[in-house]
Amino acid sequence: MEEKTFEPKITAFVCNWCTYTGADLAGTSRLKYKPNIKMIRVPCTGRIDPVFIIKAFEKGADGVLISGCHPGDCHYNTGNYHARRRWVLFTELLNYIGIDSSRLFFSWVSASEGKKFVDVVTEVTETVRKKGPFIQYHKINKEFVLDE
Amino acid sequence: MHEKTFRKACADSGLNPFLCEIANLREHCSWVHEDIVEGTKKAIDLVRIAVERVKRNVPLSPIQVPVTKKALVIGGGISGIQASLDIANAGFDVVLVEKQPSIGGHMSQLSETFPTLDCSQCILTPRMVEVYQHPRIKLLTYSEVENVEGFIGNFKVTIRKKARSIDESKCTGCGLCVQKCPIKKKAYNEFEEGLAFRPAVYVPFPQAVPNIPVIDRTVCTYYQTGKCQMCVKVCGREAIKFDQEDTLITEDIGAIVVATGYKLYTIDKKPDAQEIKGYGEYGYGKYKDVVDGLQFERIASASGPTSGEILRPSDNSVPKKIVFIQCVGSRDESKGFSYCSKICCMYTAKHAMLYKHKVHDGEAYVFYMDIRAGGKGYDEFVRRAIEEDNVKYIRGRVSRIYEENGKYIVKGEDTIAGMPVVIDADMVVLATAITAQPDAVKLAQTVGMSYDKYGFYNEVHPKLRPVEVSTAGVFLAGACQAPKDIPESVAMASAAASKSLVLFGSDLLEREPTVAKVNESICAGCFYCQKVCAYNAIERKEIKDRQGNVVKVIASVNSGLCQGCGTCNAVCPSKSVELVGFNDEQIYAQINALG
Amino acid sequence: MNELRQLAKELLGNGTVKVIIGYSEGTTPERAKPFIARTEEDAGKLIFNKYCVNNLAVYLTRKEFKRKGTIGIVAKGCDVKAIVQLIQENQVIKDDVYIIGMNCGGVVSGFGVDDTAVKCNNCKVKTPHLYHTLLGAPVETPAKDDGHLKLIQKLDAMTAEEKWSFWEAEFEKCVKCYACRQACPLCYCEKCIADKSMPRWIESSAHTRGNFAWNIIRAFHLSGRCVGCGECERACPAEIPLSLINRKMGMVAKKEFDYSAGMALDAPTLVGNYDTADREDFIK
Repeated sequence: MEEKTFEPKITAFVCNWCTYTGADLAGTSRLKYKPNIKMIRVPCTGRIDPVFIIKAFEKGADGVLISGCHPGDCHYNTGNYHARRRWVLFTELLNYIGIDSSRLFFSWVSASEGKKFVDVVTEVTETVRKKGPFIQYHKINKEFVLDE
Repeated sequence: MHEKTFRKACADSGLNPFLCEIANLREHCSWVHEDIVEGTKKAIDLVRIAVERVKRNVPLSPIQVPVTKKALVIGGGISGIQASLDIANAGFDVVLVEKQPSIGGHMSQLSETFPTLDCSQCILTPRMVEVYQHPRIKLLTYSEVENVEGFIGNFKVTIRKKARSIDESKCTGCGLCVQKCPIKKKAYNEFEEGLAFRPAVYVPFPQAVPNIPVIDRTVCTYYQTGKCQMCVKVCGREAIKFDQEDTLITEDIGAIVVATGYKLYTIDKKPDAQEIKGYGEYGYGKYKDVVDGLQFERIASASGPTSGEILRPSDNSVPKKIVFIQCVGSRDESKGFSYCSKICCMYTAKHAMLYKHKVHDGEAYVFYMDIRAGGKGYDEFVRRAIEEDNVKYIRGRVSRIYEENGKYIVKGEDTIAGMPVVIDADMVVLATAITAQPDAVKLAQTVGMSYDKYGFYNEVHPKLRPVEVSTAGVFLAGACQAPKDIPESVAMASAAASKSLVLFGSDLLEREPTVAKVNESICAGCFYCQKVCAYNAIERKEIKDRQGNVVKVIASVNSGLCQGCGTCNAVCPSKSVELVGFNDEQIYAQINALG
Repeated sequence: MNELRQLAKELLGNGTVKVIIGYSEGTTPERAKPFIARTEEDAGKLIFNKYCVNNLAVYLTRKEFKRKGTIGIVAKGCDVKAIVQLIQENQVIKDDVYIIGMNCGGVVSGFGVDDTAVKCNNCKVKTPHLYHTLLGAPVETPAKDDGHLKLIQKLDAMTAEEKWSFWEAEFEKCVKCYACRQACPLCYCEKCIADKSMPRWIESSAHTRGNFAWNIIRAFHLSGRCVGCGECERACPAEIPLSLINRKMGMVAKKEFDYSAGMALDAPTLVGNYDTADREDFIK
């Protein structure tokens, strides 16, 4: 029963110049995908801090997608290279803690890749859907009494 | 996508444009989702995200920085000359820096130019003189850019003016010292590409600008033994200054045009050794009569060592059979460079033509891979070489060249006939690849430009911003960006000049206010921000106590340089540097809105 | 011991250093404690033995010492790594520190115990790699079983859910005392992200969710920087095996980028630099 009604919550952090614009293109091309994903725009993948990802899980995300310009195409020259190196460390760290690649996704989607954007989003949505709700994080979220 | 439009609409109606935020429901929701109920829920979420963000937006106004209306042009070849003249003629000051003792660049070495066969020096020399006499151009020859600091509109440039050992204010350019210098047959003549020698004190070529000699300290007898001083004796103006030292000149500059040109691939045989050493089998550097394109230009030039007669360097005889080989190093990833050098097809046709015009009974063969003659009148020019001047084009590569009985045996293949070809030539001309200057990378690091793996400078956008580099206020002209012929270089130079003039068109420069800002009270000064900044926008700021002792050194953002990517914000462990407009509180609130 | 005291006396006497951060005997001989020698007389109280567990580099970034002239420091190889890292990160000026390097055969794992710390089992810097003066004789110790490595391999082999359960049980114990942060020579931020409330990325109460956030972010901020001195774990009153995380991230840095923190002054830092060939097989 649970599985049929489960709609994963997916938070995405995307760069302004490539993936966000690629999502625009998916729209203007009238491509279709599931509405599970909600995007937060940042100027560059270099701006993305791992605390964003942790906070997204704390706010109930079942999966997180990070996406930006292809290597060499960064609007800010090197932002995505610096980001990529930190992601290597961060994915390994989260994987070690128990948040693996079925919860946390990375992609390069350029402004001209509306189709790829849809493919990535669909794959992410379906992978998380199959994996099911992130019950471990939901559990510690639920136990938490807001101190704000 | 429509952010600019809506921000402008806000500004028009009196609201600060940076208080405008967009929830892109059309492209990101209504057009892409079919489930109306779920789609509507998502739309509400997207609006919520935008609201949380806009709640925390602050009114921003563009950052204004003053503009120094003076341009620096690096490189005094045809590109640098053109850019300098355009900027100066528009009424702005130019500092033109040339590494060699004279401006003119490679174009001054050429005999005649394709596709019109007009004399290169005849059209270039007037431009050189114009530069020299222009009241708005400060010409610094025999000088190099040593350091560049600052940012668009506000560069501070340090230029090293190398010691000529000649007092420029006294020298009249009479040339007596050059004539009397006892060193005649020793020094490598750069202008003649090694086909002749020059004295220790020399003017690179007769039309040099400025017409002031320079003493080559590596060969001058005085610098070797402390004796001679012949030049001192003959100079009536006491202009020889053996103890002259390099001087450093600093200039405030608003825009920089980089026009440092190219270097021919030398198969590691000329003074500058290169990493790539392919094509040794052609005997270049070993056989005197196997020359490169620029050497042939000098041989064909009326001002060259043979006064324009086509003669073999080895024995001054007229070659009756010349083989021209294209793509020596170009379009060859395994032995040379993957790119096409672009001008070789044309200049080889020109060379063959010039040869046939001068040696009527001579035979000219061209080995080619493809003929790339795109350009106005270019293909017609090559056809003329083949059809009117009877140059024999052979499609194929040459495997080897060796000497036998005073002839050069060129072994190749005719891939159209599918047969091996052997030609006993008197002379061979190699169209060697155009490469980046050997010190291109050093300059790139000084100025702040990115470059490809061959050392050519990268433009920001290959189509829409072809003359700009990633550092704002720096523009490219000519072959330092990629191989280019003269008209292209000149066009690019004018483009770079007009980009500079756009900058000089206003007194203040407006820049996006979404830049990083340091919270000085908590910055610990680890400078990870500085390491990740692609724009050198992070500076070090000393915090002192009342006694003037430095108590800590912290980061400070130069808002003139910052482009607002926010990578510094992400790597800062304590979030002591934050990106205005995308700060942590805003993003935190946006993530929260999804909870 | 005598040569240390002699050297310290000289350095303090001739003004080479303003103070020397070292160890002195505590309430019992097994309880060596950090000690600041300011006078020649103080120099006579300095000691060095296997009970000198503290990484004294942590004091170099304290306000009392930072930019207050040349500071002498008694340092084991692992401590020197931290000093190198601090120099690379502009926290210590190279010429403002005088390193008295100590040949070390391993230290005990904590106060009141006599067993060798696990970090010492496979130590590569028994003789420090950077120093102004090196004291003591090189110590040969038999190679021992690397206790951490086995546990890490065991964790690596678990499923995501099993890993989560393991760490949930550990992080649950965290009381957010931040002793790990205080003991770490590389946690020198003037205001830790955990203490910031605008916005509060890391919840302040000692609840599992906030504990996860704190421990993940702490480990991430130390990735490619942690020198493996183990002080965080030793300081932790809840006995969370922090070394298992730090060591793992050190292994990642080594495997992915061939990088070891704190080894060379002129090495580029791991984060803050990149290679166009960095791994990206996990990126779609």
